[in-house]
Amino acid sequence: MSDFIPVGMGELKIARHPSCLVVYGIGSCVILALYDKKNKIGGFSHVMLPDSSGIDKDKLNPSKFADTAVPLLYNRMGEEGALKSMLVAKLVGGAEMFPPTEDFSSNIGKENVEAVKKALQNLQIPIEAEDTGGTRGRSIEFDLETGVVKLSILGQETKEL
Amino acid sequence: MEDVTNLTRTQLDALREIGNIGSGNAASALAQFLNRKIDMAVPSAKILDFKEIPELVGGPAKSVMGIFLKVMGNISGRFLLLIPEHTSLRLLHTLIPGCDIDSPLNMGEMESSCMREVGNILAGAFLNALSTLTQTPMLNSLPSMAFDLSGSLINYVVADMVAVSDKVLMIETSFIEEEEDLRIHIFLLPDPDSLQKLLKSIGVA
Repeated sequence: MSDFIPVGMGELKIARHPSCLVVYGIGSCVILALYDKKNKIGGFSHVMLPDSSGIDKDKLNPSKFADTAVPLLYNRMGEEGALKSMLVAKLVGGAEMFPPTEDFSSNIGKENVEAVKKALQNLQIPIEAEDTGGTRGRSIEFDLETGVVKLSILGQETKEL
Repeated sequence: MEDVTNLTRTQLDALREIGNIGSGNAASALAQFLNRKIDMAVPSAKILDFKEIPELVGGPAKSVMGIFLKVMGNISGRFLLLIPEHTSLRLLHTLIPGCDIDSPLNMGEMESSCMREVGNILAGAFLNALSTLTQTPMLNSLPSMAFDLSGSLINYVVADMVAVSDKVLMIETSFIEEEEDLRIHIFLLPDPDSLQKLLKSIGVA
């Protein structure tokens, strides 16, 4: 039985096989998964918002924001023994959970996805798979033995990324 | 006041009383609507880590009906109803003659519209009581509804409220029908810049 490590909103965690990183109930957040296949090290960053500019540096939790979380996960993976040049990314989340009304609309999910992609591009990390956007909540399990991300959506068949 | 962790005991007690008055009115509206006796749990006003909110409704992977409204006016914020699956089915079966769907995933336009109306009535009753109490007009937006994982719904509603702090002020209550546990959770999340106005309007600023 492998060890399941939950990664909450605004958190960043790195683990090795045979552990699994898991997130239940992803909404507009984006989970960035980075994986080093050779060393079987993987990390999740549970990004909540696109941009940290305007936040006081001393109050900033860098793992909440795409622009700071992506380089942080990348560097931490290196410190944990992953080969940075081997890292590949998978992206999940970025949904708009409630349909827009006259008084309320939000693109936060889309903005999160775009911001994570931009940060990945800056670091030249290839995106291997993604399941983003839409209006449905998602849960994922990241198997660090294989690098497979198992995705479930309420009322739908589980799929693998 | 941007930092909710500085609230005093007296201020929290006053906010709890707001929850009491708002949800009392919402409970009567629901009782009338359903023609049943509805009891109300003692409301709470809490400062909590946003990650704890899904635990109040059974964990982030629990599927729930969410009805989301914006509170608009001089005092603004967000109003969220989280309704467990079996409560939403009971409401639909009671309110729509001949409705026999077995999962909220199979809701059609009629059922969705009915649930949004439930949200509208509860939010309207809650905010009416608050407007009277605070002498500040507060209106609710049109309701928006989704049936999904509680973690996903909450994540979407609070994301931009917790950019700096992880803490939110939440006034929470639930309704219980006398014979069956038909819970509806009501959450009121005042916008950070409205909190001071809210406290002032009830004389505890």
